[in-house]
Order: sequence, then structure tokens, then C-alpha cells
Amino acid sequence: MATSVYLSNPSVTINSVDLSDQCTAATITYNVEALENTAFGSTARTYTAGLANNSITVTLYQSYAGSETEASIYSLVGTTTTLVLKPASGAASATNPSYTLTGAYLESHTPINASLGELSTIDLTFTGGTLAKATS
Amino acid sequence: MYVIVSPRLGTPGDKFEPADDINVQALIDGGLISTDKPKKSSKVKEEPVEEK
Repeated sequence: MATSVYLSNPSVTINSVDLSDQCTAATITYNVEALENTAFGSTARTYTAGLANNSITVTLYQSYAGSETEASIYSLVGTTTTLVLKPASGAASATNPSYTLTGAYLESHTPINASLGELSTIDLTFTGGTLAKATS
Repeated sequence: MYVIVSPRLGTPGDKFEPADDINVQALIDGGLISTDKPKKSSKVKEEPVEEK
């Protein structure tokens, strides 16, 4: 049985900036809203596709150094951008698909998220936009 | 014209061509790219050959 283990080198690019080495978690939610179209005479609820409502959440180590997390993220709040995620850093292929979320909106960011004795991390959620999958 | 400053976007000094929906202003604000002209590659003179 083949499984995917995310221990080594997934690829996370936000607004063209490769932040893979600051990222510890990433989730793509590919969602198309369900619109109920059940009617009289139906024996079970039925649904049809509504609007896509995609999102990507990432967890990044915070860093205030040049070209690092804060420099890459802070000015994205309140704007839309493009994210590209792949299971591995190599070229996109059938076994390493590339997922691109275009027009994703970043609503909030926590520039300081600190706890005593822990590395500072930030959780970002990019919502909306169009998700495309590429295998080449 | 934009030039890559941070290696997180590519090779520093190379021209940066933003794809659609890339927030260029955020990259400039973060110091990841600049609006300078790309630097020309330095010419390396060949070592002169001494005549024996």
C-alpha cells in the first residue's frame, strides 16, 4: 500500500516566495458548496454544486529576518495572492501533483504569537480563489 | 521591471516577472524584489598567457 509521508520536502510557495523551510503544516481544502435541490416527491435529500469555496491553511515558523516569514506575509493581509503547494519539491507529475490556488484572500495574520520557551509560529488561512491541479 | 533580491524567489539579480495575481507591492514592501535594473554580469578577463 502506497502512502504519503510528509517528513522531508513538501513545497509551499506563497506569493511566489518559497517558504517551504519555514512551514510545518499545510492543508488544502477543495470545497464546492452543496445546494439542496430536494423537492416534493423526493425520498432522500439531494444536492447540486454551488460556488467553490476553497482554502489553504499553513503553519509557519515566525522570523523577522530579511526575506523570511514576516517580510513575506505582513503586506499580504487584506489582499489576494497565489499559493502553490506540492507534496515534494520536484517537478509536478502524476505522483507529485501541483495545486495552485489563485485569488486567495488573506484576512488576518498574527505578527506576534509568542509563548515562553517555544518557537514562535503563525497560522495563516487563505480563503477563496480558484484551485487548479497540475500533473505536468 | 522588477529584480529578484531574495533567493526565495529565484536567483538574486535576475529579472522577476510576476505571474497573474501575484501581489508585487507586498514583495517590494518586504524587500524581496526591487524595481532596480538588473545588474549586468561581470566580464571576466582571461588570464594572460606568459610567453616563454
